[in-house]
Amino acid sequence: MSYEMIAILMFSTMMLMLMTGQRVFGAIGFVGVLAAVFLWGTGGSDIGFSAAMKLMKWYPLLTLPMFIFMGYVLSESKIADDLYKMFHVWMGPVRGGLAIGTILLMVLISAMNGLSVAGMAIGATIALPELLKRGYDKRMVTGVIQAGSSLGILVPPSVVLVLYAMIARQPVGQLWLAGVFPGLMMAAMFILYVVIRCRIQPELGPALPEADRDISREEKMKLLRAGLLPIVIFATMMVPFVNGWTSLVESSAIGAITAFVAAVVKGRMTREVFENSVRSTLGISCMFMWIILAALGFGAVFDGLGAVKAIDDLFTEQLGLDPWMILILMQLSFILMGTFLDDTAMLVIVAPLYVPLVKVLGFDLIWYGVLYTITTQIAYMTPPFGYNLFLMRAMAPSEVTLKDIYRSIVPFVAVMILALTLVMIFPQIALWLPNYVYGK
Amino acid sequence: MPVILKLYIRLVDGFNRRVGRFVMYGIFVMMAILLWSSFSKTFMTPSMWTLEMAQFAMVTYYILGGPYSVQMGSNVRMDLFYGEWTLRQRAMVDAMTVFFLIFYLAILIHGAVGSSAYALGHFGVEPYSFYRDLVWAFLTGGKEAANEVLGYIERSPTAWRPVLWPIKLIMLLGFILMLLQAVSELLKDIARIRGVDY
Repeated sequence: MSYEMIAILMFSTMMLMLMTGQRVFGAIGFVGVLAAVFLWGTGGSDIGFSAAMKLMKWYPLLTLPMFIFMGYVLSESKIADDLYKMFHVWMGPVRGGLAIGTILLMVLISAMNGLSVAGMAIGATIALPELLKRGYDKRMVTGVIQAGSSLGILVPPSVVLVLYAMIARQPVGQLWLAGVFPGLMMAAMFILYVVIRCRIQPELGPALPEADRDISREEKMKLLRAGLLPIVIFATMMVPFVNGWTSLVESSAIGAITAFVAAVVKGRMTREVFENSVRSTLGISCMFMWIILAALGFGAVFDGLGAVKAIDDLFTEQLGLDPWMILILMQLSFILMGTFLDDTAMLVIVAPLYVPLVKVLGFDLIWYGVLYTITTQIAYMTPPFGYNLFLMRAMAPSEVTLKDIYRSIVPFVAVMILALTLVMIFPQIALWLPNYVYGK
Repeated sequence: MPVILKLYIRLVDGFNRRVGRFVMYGIFVMMAILLWSSFSKTFMTPSMWTLEMAQFAMVTYYILGGPYSVQMGSNVRMDLFYGEWTLRQRAMVDAMTVFFLIFYLAILIHGAVGSSAYALGHFGVEPYSFYRDLVWAFLTGGKEAANEVLGYIERSPTAWRPVLWPIKLIMLLGFILMLLQAVSELLKDIARIRGVDY
């Protein structure tokens, strides 16, 4: 049997196993070790465990539990409530202002956290009921919150980019910096969309009535202090890191501790919040780590087969496609897979397959990291299976139906695809900042 | 269900739950190590042991926490079809597919056994008989006899040079606990198929 055939067989077996609904890490790990034993006999039986040692030695992975913990502390303790209030008062008088404020809130939360869960939780539990009460269109509001919270994985610190860095063997620091401008650009595009939409259809996002705006200047200024929290947390993480005093991992621990201390100082760290954050952190960390463990084993077999070279040959030699065509096809298939694959699984399955191919094709892997993340964001939101969609359903008030949620994301996905295209055409959007900072 | 199986589920779930609830505070251990690391790096001579200690803590955290995360149902599944099925249908499919998981864990355990034996200085291909000899020597001749069986102890190739067998044995233990948990899940699924609520 040729190596291409074995590779295709492995991949399709894995898809089949995943369809059965067994735990993702079990399905991937099973195919990986089975193929290893089948191909290399007793020598191959060590591949599963070598992956565990490889995982242990991959130092930046420690940021994962730190950011997960931080996210849970931020969302469970509700220390971000004041932030919402700040945007509410300051942006309220503008048409669609509360929606714009929500997007800005999401940007700030993204800068404190590397996953989209925290932003989602804060948006759905604090912003959503408030916006609905003010007569905002429910579809626009749910769309705003989902799109905004997905920024969490693009704006540094980002857990997805940490995982990508591991697979692509690229420096995390540069990847994070590469995510800054695309993230801000995307946020600006979301805001622009809301502004234009509310100009055409003012009923979608009415400005706050006079009575609600009657807040003294002094009071308004006082609210601005809430904005200090994300700045402080972001600064305690990023300043020592950028100055080279601490490593990335140490910074993430400092960030987690700062968030924890902030919650304690504000008196929000109750017994229940503590228990929930610590327990959920274990659950989510284990979920990620075991999948990575299995995927590393699977990837090692795949590498051993030289499968990537075979696939590359198939595309460039036999089908005669040029690299850009292949890249576009890859992104399209990625989005397509995202619509029916579980997102976490997709993350660790797709990257080991695509990243080496991108490298063989001669593209910049830092730049591709940003494309990869934006595509993951889109996948997070596209029905029928999207992490954000389900979280939204679980957290939103009952008047928002699943159909509303599905419909709400359409314009935002269009905006995101536009952003993806822009970054593809103008790589400088992503690469300027890391090149400037690292002086390439 | 036979009493002995019920007892098995109760023992395994209870034990793994306790282990999981213990290691879940490991997040603070990791934070403390990393905080000390940045502190010592900035104000004193950098500590050599922090990097690897943090890695060991992380591995302990996720491997020993694994069975508890299975109990909590944190491990994602692809729910394209799974989500539509009734609890009974899910139990039926799970009762079959859990063998994928068991096979994977068995191979992991096999790898861990070999690698731990290597870490204790056994370079051959018969790790199981090496352990048997080791335990037998310890039982008959005490500590010194056991020392005879041990070979060159593997150390990490870093400045700190920690021995690697403790973390490998922790991993081995974690995989075994995970296997016990997988069997417990299988038994619970069989009970569900038979209409017993679990």
